[in-house]
Amino acid sequence: MRNIGLIWLGKLGSKISKQLHLGHGSTWPGHIALRLNPNFVKQMLKDSSVKIIFIAGTNGKTTSARMLRTILEADGKRVIHNESGANLLNGIASILLLKSSLSGKFKADYAIFEVDENILPRLVKEISPSYILLLNLFRDQLDRYGEVDTIAAKWQNALNSLPEKTVLVANADDPRIAYLGMQRKNTIFFGLTTQKKSAKELKHAVDSTYCPKCGTKLTYKTVYYSHLGDWYCPHCTLKRPDISISKDINISLSGTYNLSNAHGIIALSRQLGTLEGTIAKALEKVTPAFGRQEKIIIKDKVAQLFLSKNPTGFNESLRTISELGAKHILLILNDRIADGRDVSWIWDIDFEPFLRDFNHITISGDRTYDMGLRLKYTSNEPMANSQWQIEENLEKALHTALSSLPKDEMLYILPTYTAMLEVRKILTGKKIL
Amino acid sequence: MKNYSPLAIRHKQLTIGWLYPDLMSTYGDRGNILVLQKRCEWRDIEVKIVLVDQTTNDQSLKAIDLIFGGGAQDRAQEIVMRDLRKNKGKSIKELIENGIPALFVCGAPQLMGRFYEPAVGEKIEGLGIFDMETRNPGPEAPRLIGNIVAEVQWSNNPAQSEALRAKSIIVGFENHGGRTYLGKNAKPFAKVIKGNGNNGEDGTEGVVYKNAIGCYFHGPLLPKNSIIADWLIKTALEVKYKEEIVLKELDDSLEKKAQQVIAKRLGVSI
Repeated sequence: MRNIGLIWLGKLGSKISKQLHLGHGSTWPGHIALRLNPNFVKQMLKDSSVKIIFIAGTNGKTTSARMLRTILEADGKRVIHNESGANLLNGIASILLLKSSLSGKFKADYAIFEVDENILPRLVKEISPSYILLLNLFRDQLDRYGEVDTIAAKWQNALNSLPEKTVLVANADDPRIAYLGMQRKNTIFFGLTTQKKSAKELKHAVDSTYCPKCGTKLTYKTVYYSHLGDWYCPHCTLKRPDISISKDINISLSGTYNLSNAHGIIALSRQLGTLEGTIAKALEKVTPAFGRQEKIIIKDKVAQLFLSKNPTGFNESLRTISELGAKHILLILNDRIADGRDVSWIWDIDFEPFLRDFNHITISGDRTYDMGLRLKYTSNEPMANSQWQIEENLEKALHTALSSLPKDEMLYILPTYTAMLEVRKILTGKKIL
Repeated sequence: MKNYSPLAIRHKQLTIGWLYPDLMSTYGDRGNILVLQKRCEWRDIEVKIVLVDQTTNDQSLKAIDLIFGGGAQDRAQEIVMRDLRKNKGKSIKELIENGIPALFVCGAPQLMGRFYEPAVGEKIEGLGIFDMETRNPGPEAPRLIGNIVAEVQWSNNPAQSEALRAKSIIVGFENHGGRTYLGKNAKPFAKVIKGNGNNGEDGTEGVVYKNAIGCYFHGPLLPKNSIIADWLIKTALEVKYKEEIVLKELDDSLEKKAQQVIAKRLGVSI
């Protein structure tokens, strides 16, 4: 079988690349395997008994996959999972290649695949998952993904092509996702329940406040965050589907968005037959994923990274760090391909309610001055120089931010995707201090 | 030219009409409103923002001194057009005929042209304010996406001034599938220096009619291009108060730097 040759080749190549420190080698073995055999992924999974789970959504894929993995492993299951940043087809081919035995077999019960929004329609043609978890759809990188409506329509087609036995776990709080779920028989809905900290009104960066069925403006009984909430259509009476209510849950990660992700994971884990106690215990000890609420210690100071790559992600990061009492923040805006080349989205962030909470703001990244302008236009008076600092050079910006940081304070860093990789490299390499 | 007197401007007021903010606000369009609002307030010009939607009546529309419209997704565009065709379209057209300044960015100018032919589906009739037509060459044709630098053609605008002519570079991002072609009675807003502009062929960017500007720049045009913001404010005040207005200069060094980063990347010296 030709694939066994590819597996040998890929594993060997990956080992050499690690030895030579040529990078973590996460997607290129899969890239080569697919070049040599376009059906590699399909064939590898065809005869396998491993149960496949897709996780898709604009925000929260990586953290949700991590939660699920923690739960399943606590339950004694063997799990393979495409780690962060490898959510395209070549990333999935890579993980299959690297985790299989030399004879092309898997010793795994579950495969969790984080799936990029654009790839989902293509991937369902290659792989038939047993479960799909759809978390949310927010405006994100318009130049790369297109409009939210376009993605929802593509997902609808993708879901239509799946067999009825595929279980969809859908976020009832997101009207578009909920509506996708209503089109299928085999859907489990999850959602948040009323909390003390629910937002009072819809934020500016909302995308799905019109009825997905008839186009009338939706009414919200409660807004949890962005356009997620307890909604109904006053015209055609479409409403948020009923959810099975979970008891209060304790999760180790902060933020309403993580609570929403956790509810999705709980609903999914129940489907997989995991016991409630196992789920609850595992959720209490989930550690943050790469750059997502990850803490990095630099000598006697601590920085915490809150990956913030679109308006809703950014708004929720601001809300979460403000609840955590943040005083010193560093914003890093890049505009590389993985960030989206168009930085227009920063004007959809609601900085205004939080700005007073922060004593000192440092701004950096490829588009430092655009972010600077965004902040300039938040205040009634032009901002005082003592309150903020603008520094294009990230190493210098980080140095300034950390050296002015009092010992018992934390530096909260809100970077876009490539900015997160960059700042992490500087911090963990301790290049500057 | 009269000397600027802060007292003269203190009791001035502008009403800005923001068209369908929750339907036509796809990607940072709000930036334009924030910039107009702050740049007025920092000069002691009182600002009222009217959120125009399906419930807005004709009387509130007629009180508008400055109009802004942003980009919409296809479905939202249909809802907007349905409402505009009822009667608001006519009122907006009247305002523009009377010299009220307007800014339409992203997809909004397409609605104000003669028609828009989408990639799939039927031709959509526009309001016909701008003599131009837009066609989408089909789903296979590439979208015109990327950073853009252009030079404003102030000579196409009756309200030009010496000061404005010196500052005419605008920098932004474009992202559109449609190709727009100007008719005989339409003048381009700007000339493309780097980027695609209206159709990627004739070097024109946007359109001007009376004091209304249509521009393919995506979302937040005004933050990096404060010169356009100030022109809109000045013109709106002049039309409203029928006197010459000289706006107080603001510190725009950050705006300049933000422009320079992109211009430099595209190999344009400004």
